[in-house]
Amino acid sequence: MANLNGRARKKNTYDAIVVGSGITGGWAAKELTQKGLKTLVLERGPMVRHLEDYPTATMDPWQAKYPQGQLPPDELAAHYPVQRRTGYTLTEYTKHFFVRDDQNPYTEESRYDWIRGYQVGGRSLTWGRQSYRHSPIDFEANAREGIGVDWPIRYEELAPWYDHVERFIGVSGQREGLPQLPDGQYQPPMEMNCVEKAFKAKSEARFPERRITMGRTAHLTEPTEEQLSLGRTKCQYRNMCIRGCPFGGYYSSNSGGLVAAERTGNLVIRPGSIVTSLIYDEKAGKATGVRILDATTRQEEEFYADVVFLCASAFNSAWIMMNSTSSRFPNGFGNGSDQLGRNVMDHHLGVGASAEAPEFADMYYSGRRPNGIYVPRFRNLGDAATKRSDYLRGFGYQGGASRPGWDRDLVRPGGEVAGPRGFGAARKAALSQPGPWYMGLGGFGEILPYEDNRITLNHDKTDEFGLPTLSMNVTIRENELAMRRDMQTAAAEMLEAAGFKNVRGYDGGYAPGLGIHEMGTARMGRDPKTSVLNAHNQVHECKNVYVTDGAAMTSASCVNPSLTYMALTARAADHAVKARKRGEL
Amino acid sequence: MLLSRRDAIRGLTFTFGMAATGFAGQAMADAPALAWTPTALTPDQARLVDVVAELIIPKTDTPGAREAGVPQFIDRALADYFDKAQAERLRAGLDRMDADARAAHGDVFVALTPQQQVELLTGYDREASTQSQAPGERHFFPLLEDLVTVGYFTSEPGATVALRYDPVPGAYHGCVPLAELGRGWATR
Repeated sequence: MANLNGRARKKNTYDAIVVGSGITGGWAAKELTQKGLKTLVLERGPMVRHLEDYPTATMDPWQAKYPQGQLPPDELAAHYPVQRRTGYTLTEYTKHFFVRDDQNPYTEESRYDWIRGYQVGGRSLTWGRQSYRHSPIDFEANAREGIGVDWPIRYEELAPWYDHVERFIGVSGQREGLPQLPDGQYQPPMEMNCVEKAFKAKSEARFPERRITMGRTAHLTEPTEEQLSLGRTKCQYRNMCIRGCPFGGYYSSNSGGLVAAERTGNLVIRPGSIVTSLIYDEKAGKATGVRILDATTRQEEEFYADVVFLCASAFNSAWIMMNSTSSRFPNGFGNGSDQLGRNVMDHHLGVGASAEAPEFADMYYSGRRPNGIYVPRFRNLGDAATKRSDYLRGFGYQGGASRPGWDRDLVRPGGEVAGPRGFGAARKAALSQPGPWYMGLGGFGEILPYEDNRITLNHDKTDEFGLPTLSMNVTIRENELAMRRDMQTAAAEMLEAAGFKNVRGYDGGYAPGLGIHEMGTARMGRDPKTSVLNAHNQVHECKNVYVTDGAAMTSASCVNPSLTYMALTARAADHAVKARKRGEL
Repeated sequence: MLLSRRDAIRGLTFTFGMAATGFAGQAMADAPALAWTPTALTPDQARLVDVVAELIIPKTDTPGAREAGVPQFIDRALADYFDKAQAERLRAGLDRMDADARAAHGDVFVALTPQQQVELLTGYDREASTQSQAPGERHFFPLLEDLVTVGYFTSEPGATVALRYDPVPGAYHGCVPLAELGRGWATR
């Protein structure tokens, strides 16, 4: 097919096309449709309707098919050799929200843990929901230190869009007045438990610059009229978020952005649509639409629009651009800078410390809080006191205290039995009570942009549709390794300061991708020679194509990135609508 | 809790002691009949698993493993969940229990007195704790005990009676006296 004419072409023509329906696709759809644009959302995976398509959301433990809902080793090995690597995301309760690796191949020139969810809503269904703003320090860091390229925007330009996003999605959190972690529009914070409160008091007394706050998370604690009207309600503290929330307690595209978009009457969602390339009109000097492969019929089809938003996730948006070659763009769409696919970043984690908290043996908690505490970055904040000589940038900690449950003496994979465990009534009685309090702090560290940390298009390995696949070559370097040593030491110091026992620092190792925050593959910048996107997320070399997912990121900061992706998307959508009105697209 | 443990052991002695001591020859015939049909376990293995599961998590003031359907849970795990190596390890463990019981006391495990059974399990528990549990080297006893533990505390009686379970808490309270709650939470 291809090259539709007349009526057929008109039928496939929209004002805007959004590729992807995850955390940014949902936002692009919402903003564009609410501003009056007839918008087509193309999603490669199947439909997931809020409430209707959360098959495991209310399952009780005894309804599991497998022990603790864990998938059989044979199934994991055959279908999920990569998706299983997180160790916590892939279970009987969640596997329908993750890809099968055997059907979605890529090449690991170096180990890369690419964790994906191909469905309407994407990974917004399964995300961690932590929602922090990048700070002025983050936007200035590259320029100040001569790393990568300068961000083409500053914090102040994004701040109103952070406000806009936070008000819509609903973020619960505590205002702290810290320059390195700007405050936002928050619903009431969740509560710290006894041990966390004591930890905060004692650690802050010893290390006042290491503020301890409640995690800022995209959960409703005091829903607004707008959120209630969309059918969302307060977080019920079930902590089964990753299965999809029947209360709409946390934000997902499915419960939020796509619902709002649908209500405008301007939205069409087409699941099962694998976008294979952008269509570029050499004469007009702009993109006219996209080509897709229908995942079911395997037929090609074209869709047309004045403006295209790529929101397919950092790697897949880059893949589409790399796969969109023409005489104008022989090396990939908008890739005159040769930066497409480069500067892959993530957050390195898996390092920190844990300890036993001896007090409060008579205290416990009720409810399952889907959130922990947060320690905002306290290194390299621009003053002499926080300056590190051994590395640039910084890290934050996510952590919390809890009492382990009945499963605390089970043998972990590859682990040991901790002495004779006994059996019978005494062990049963002991396991029916909570174990001692434990407190843990786990670091999330910034990774610098390195040009040779890159993904490339591999035509030698194709997927089941005959499409080229990606090859990954991404490693962390000396800066990250030096930071990890500090991440472990500083966490242990804080737990010691709180008077906890058996403080144990750990570095369980990290493989790129494990943060599930891949970004940077089509970075924003001021100069088309060294960046792919401009200050409005437009492709420098083709202004009616916007890329607003993680691909756009010029640096990673150490905070969870989804909030920034959403703010960039809303800002770009506003720009696109105005530019289109002015006839600039 | 010590009291109820003693009661439990006394209870076991009463239930099974007669069969094992008084009518040793008929022990197998007198072992409790299974109310379910195993699919992965043989009937003899299922009876053994039934007895061992109840020894590991006995009925006390709350239901035991048998009442919670743990033997069936283990049968299902063997059929659907375990890979071949794990299944073989568990089956070899069951065989060994009967072999050890015969060597020491001249009869299969389920026919022994509860005290003899407890002694054997205590030996396995001690032996396992000195051994690596690396995949492929796992001692059968922790493997079996873990399965019983998971099966029990994720069962409806285990989660809702032996533990506390609240599918929709509705709120989070960070500092609650343990005495008000009484037991550990079934899920986190």
